[in-house]
Amino acid sequence: MRVFSTISCLITIVIACAAWVSSSSTTKIIVTPLPFFLPKGWPKPAYDFKNNPPTKEGFELGRKLFYDTRLSKDGSLSCGSCHQQFAAFATYDHNLSHGFNNGQTTRNAPSLANLAWTKNLMADGGINHLDLQPLAPITATNEMAETIENVMVKLKADSVYKKLFIKAFGDATINTQRMTKALSQFLVMLVSSNSKYDKVMRGEAAFILPEQLGYDIFKTKCASCHTEPMFTDYSYRNVGMPVDTFLNDYGRMIITRNKQDSLKFRVPSLRNVAYTQPYGHDGRFFSLMNVFEHYRSKAINGPTTDSLFKNKMPLSNFEIGQLTAFLYTLSDTTFLKDKRFAEPGTENTIPSFIHLH
Amino acid sequence: MKIILIFLFCSMCSIAFAQQKLTLHFKHKVGDKNLHLFTETYENSFGETFTINKFKYYISKIVLFDSDAKQYAFPNNYYLIDAADSASKSISVFTTAKRIASIQFLIGVDSIKNVSGVQTGVLDPMNGMFWTWNSGYVFAKLEGVSTAAKVPGNLFSQHIGGFKNGENATRQIMLTVDSWQLTGKNLITIEADINKWFQSTHTIKISQHPICHSPGELAMQFADNYANMFSISTTN
Repeated sequence: MRVFSTISCLITIVIACAAWVSSSSTTKIIVTPLPFFLPKGWPKPAYDFKNNPPTKEGFELGRKLFYDTRLSKDGSLSCGSCHQQFAAFATYDHNLSHGFNNGQTTRNAPSLANLAWTKNLMADGGINHLDLQPLAPITATNEMAETIENVMVKLKADSVYKKLFIKAFGDATINTQRMTKALSQFLVMLVSSNSKYDKVMRGEAAFILPEQLGYDIFKTKCASCHTEPMFTDYSYRNVGMPVDTFLNDYGRMIITRNKQDSLKFRVPSLRNVAYTQPYGHDGRFFSLMNVFEHYRSKAINGPTTDSLFKNKMPLSNFEIGQLTAFLYTLSDTTFLKDKRFAEPGTENTIPSFIHLH
Repeated sequence: MKIILIFLFCSMCSIAFAQQKLTLHFKHKVGDKNLHLFTETYENSFGETFTINKFKYYISKIVLFDSDAKQYAFPNNYYLIDAADSASKSISVFTTAKRIASIQFLIGVDSIKNVSGVQTGVLDPMNGMFWTWNSGYVFAKLEGVSTAAKVPGNLFSQHIGGFKNGENATRQIMLTVDSWQLTGKNLITIEADINKWFQSTHTIKISQHPICHSPGELAMQFADNYANMFSISTTN
């Protein structure tokens, strides 16, 4: 008996040691955790940080990947090509974005801010996890037109990436999961929470009169969908935009195949709205004035038009003026110029967004 | 304490000595003919002729039942069977089961893996079995050429998936293993008859549905059909 128990004890110890050695040899890496700050009063993020805790090393790898044009088939486009920092990571001045071989996207590139709070991505909510999101533009033939397999081949052949993956994940394994986790670590850090609006809410600044009047109008006429503090309620709605007969984009219905969802698109956040024109899921509105004009005089009452727009939305010129003043307080210049988010190597030459407008 | 240690020791011994390797081999047929990609022309029950370029599907949640109805589950094993890759067609599991009475498995990938970001191994989206624009795995895909397919290149392309309520295309397969002892080669050959893909519970002509690239009603019909596609081979 004693022999048996001694043997079993020994076996247990040996197995335990072996497990410890094998796990410590792969996880013994020194990473610098990157804290994620939850702005005061904001809801809990949707992103599961436990499964992908951001580190400085992972963030930097993600940043390099975000700006690497080799993620596209011919090396002409990176994520950052259509998500430009000076446009709050939307595409400046383009209704639709340009893709591989003169391709064109079918939707306006959205601003990439506060993605940690966005559970389902895309204007139709088709992508259910931030880690999965990059795979769509990388593989779409009218965007980066590359295969994930080829991206892996390119990354594995690059000694710099090899080093960066070791730094971030502890060993030289390069796979889709690690690439997308690194990208997510970069993307969740793109938090825009320092606009004048935020400062006013924190008691650090005060609205001037038109901004305050605009805020009051906003709260009665806009906030039920563009809900504070994210400035979206993440719902899908038809705001009376007739279908573009070339794009034939029916939005949410593509994903749910439910007729009730025809022409519904996700309510976009209005943060940094002064920098993200054109507007609308297909970029048909080139200015805020176009948007207001749509709401007050052009919205059509179709079968799925949101009840809030059944009779359009009355807006006086005065209200439009005040609302515009308020919307400009959502501009977060800290975010637009944050060097941590710039393309590596260009931190000191970030184009001044002021000159581009 | 002593009893626990003895138990530990015994269970280790049983793991070390009583486990046997069981291999499930997947064999693909079209009716009576063996599947040869690209080269051979087949005919389905509607008289549509076709060749097959690609045939791939996920197998998961394998459960073995022994003659006492005791279960041996492998909940975390996922396999991608690819007609073009002979190594993928043999699945090996280690089990203490003595006499396998039936085999249960799932065609497809459970919903959790469809909503948990990017996976590795056979579930890596790199394997071309993932819809990137409408997140979710393609559980099974069949591609080929048929003059009945009035689409570019006559290339029919049927990708079946869907994990949400009302569009779930996973299907559980239960196969009875007759008088089979887990001895000798420990090999069970499972046949998949592609003709059933087109006709079983539902009648799906290539001419009518050459393309299926999203979850939904049509994908569910294909799923009902592939649920009946498998049988234990009587010849090994």
